[in-house]
Amino acid sequence: MRKKAGIWFYIFLSIFIFVTMFPFLWVFLTSIKPPAEIFNNFNWFTTNPTGQSYLNAIQTRPLFLYMWNSIAVSTLTTVLAISVASLAAYAVTRLPIKFKGTILGIVLAAAMFPQIAIISPIFNLISGLGLRNSYMGLVIPYITISLPLAIWILATFFKKIPYELEESAKLDGATPFQTFRKIIFPLAAPGVFTTAILVFIAAWNEFLFALTINSDDNWRTVPVGLSLYQSQYTIPWGDITAATVLVTIPIVIIVLIFQRRIVAGLTSGSVKE
Amino acid sequence: MGDKKKRFQLNESQLGYVMVMPALILIFAITLWPVGQSFWNSMFDYRLNDPTRNQTTLSYTIDLERYADNYFYYERDIETLIDSVEGTEMEPTVREIEATIEEFHEQIVTSDNLAEQYAVVDEMVMNFQPVNDDDLKYGSISNEFSENYIDAIEAADAELTNYFEQTEDEELATAIADANAQLGQLDRSLIRPNFIGLANYGKYLTEARTWSAMWNTVFFTVVSVFFELVIGLAVALVINRAFIGRGAVRAAVLIPWAIPTAVSAMMWSYLYDGQSGIVAHYFEQLGFISDASVLLSTGSGAMFSIILADVWKTMPYMALLLLAGLQTISESLYEAAEVDGAGKFQQFLYITLPMLKSAILVALLFRTLDAFRVFDLIYVLTGGGPANSTESVSVYAYQVLFAQQNFGEGSVLSVIMFLSVALISIIFIKLIGSDLFEDKKGSK
Repeated sequence: MRKKAGIWFYIFLSIFIFVTMFPFLWVFLTSIKPPAEIFNNFNWFTTNPTGQSYLNAIQTRPLFLYMWNSIAVSTLTTVLAISVASLAAYAVTRLPIKFKGTILGIVLAAAMFPQIAIISPIFNLISGLGLRNSYMGLVIPYITISLPLAIWILATFFKKIPYELEESAKLDGATPFQTFRKIIFPLAAPGVFTTAILVFIAAWNEFLFALTINSDDNWRTVPVGLSLYQSQYTIPWGDITAATVLVTIPIVIIVLIFQRRIVAGLTSGSVKE
Repeated sequence: MGDKKKRFQLNESQLGYVMVMPALILIFAITLWPVGQSFWNSMFDYRLNDPTRNQTTLSYTIDLERYADNYFYYERDIETLIDSVEGTEMEPTVREIEATIEEFHEQIVTSDNLAEQYAVVDEMVMNFQPVNDDDLKYGSISNEFSENYIDAIEAADAELTNYFEQTEDEELATAIADANAQLGQLDRSLIRPNFIGLANYGKYLTEARTWSAMWNTVFFTVVSVFFELVIGLAVALVINRAFIGRGAVRAAVLIPWAIPTAVSAMMWSYLYDGQSGIVAHYFEQLGFISDASVLLSTGSGAMFSIILADVWKTMPYMALLLLAGLQTISESLYEAAEVDGAGKFQQFLYITLPMLKSAILVALLFRTLDAFRVFDLIYVLTGGGPANSTESVSVYAYQVLFAQQNFGEGSVLSVIMFLSVALISIIFIKLIGSDLFEDKKGSK
């Protein structure tokens, strides 16, 4: 931190924040305009703000249902993926097993697989299990896509826990699994929580599987549901911007509350300390 | 679970294998096996919307539902035909056809593996019940038998077509045509093996649309990752200092990253819109573009729009990763360099860049792979248009797989994507070196 922040720095910073936030700002300003004022009109502020677009947005499509579906799918995915991933990450970092390098290699390779390369067999698999248009139909592929990320980040966090704690638990007669459950897991809780947020956001944002597997409107998630507002002759920008604002609010809240954790999670895998 | 462990205790390494098992099973079942399956499917003429090709088969199978149903009508029509050709020169031929087909039919209904199955299906067909169980509906028949049967049907078809063309009696012509049509239906219930080897690859590797999709993908990836890296690095360098308002910057950086790509694509499609879009409007005012509609209605405009939207969404994330890397560089290095008289630029070139190398490569690897498989952004923002000028390989594969329901040909594009991504990963991992995983193995 050797450089001091001067006036030019703050000007640069303001421009940077303005540019990154501008699309959100403009979308919000549009969403409170009366629908008639939107077309071919570039005034920033409307003189008579209205909630009409918000009403239209929730009436033309089941937006709250989409949000509920997204919450259900993302929560289930997070809980299951974290359970499976923390077991694997613990084994790989703390237990004397062979082929650690191979296991991590497979995990890393799985993270690189393009989803389009696996979508058709998974579509067949999910159809065969009768799980199309259900939460589990999306949760099963989502767990697997988020596993590599989760294992990778959790492994980083588990490694930071001092070995002495484990040794003393062992001396006190704890089995390895008890050590994991009662010592390591609680100590790693902040890391687990960070990973959970990242998995949740990844599941919330997924598009390709949601588009192909849950094609029934009652089972659609937010990203797919929102993209369907435009499939009409005229594009109802008022509805779209209002819907965008509504679905963005939960994410903004999560980001504002947990921003330090998210940054810690994102950077933990890529930077060596 | 705790109780269970108390009763039969596993030693540490056994427990370790048990603990990694669920993750490995899931990864095998949902990523590795499907990739293998995509390879396999790509060698078949496999279409979901065609009942004779909606599965991959290496040998002949028979659709018993269809066969039983059609055989019933075939018997009726061939009897009618025999009645109408009685006493003419056609009679012996028609009777011979009937005898041959019946012989083949008898072999099916009395064969060891199909007799029972056929009886059940036939009963269901007679009661107008649909056969939904695929194990019941499809039976396997030997390749030799099916080929002979198909040959017999084709020979009969040739004879009947010949008579049909010769006869002038309209009623007789109809009878011949009916019987022949039913024969054709029988033929179709014998499902040919749809293995076609590498023919699908031949088709797609010589097709212009594949290469243009590949070019679009590579162009998009290189240009957007380049700008994300350069701008991201610049932003990281500037904000790597103490200042008031770090929280606001962090939020500004994270929110574009955190919202779904499909949602940001919708936002940008509004900003770029030729009539109401503010970005399009300002660009026109500033003279960047000749007309506000250019951004989404021309090929280069649309490509620019996609790249700008992608840079907006992921540049902050890149800046964040690089900033974390910058903060690990020790201050004393810069102080020493300053004492030695090195300028700012030299410090950047000889200290910052080399120290940041591994952070940059890791960030580049993940961003490149991510950009290369771009789907949501293009699918929602331009749909691959105008005129396929922004279609990426993923979008093209999706169109073939799900819009055309052609799983055989679409899988070729899936495999091409997989191989390209594998190639990119191998190149990057060679560059990064094996230290990426070395430090994850734990200290033991």
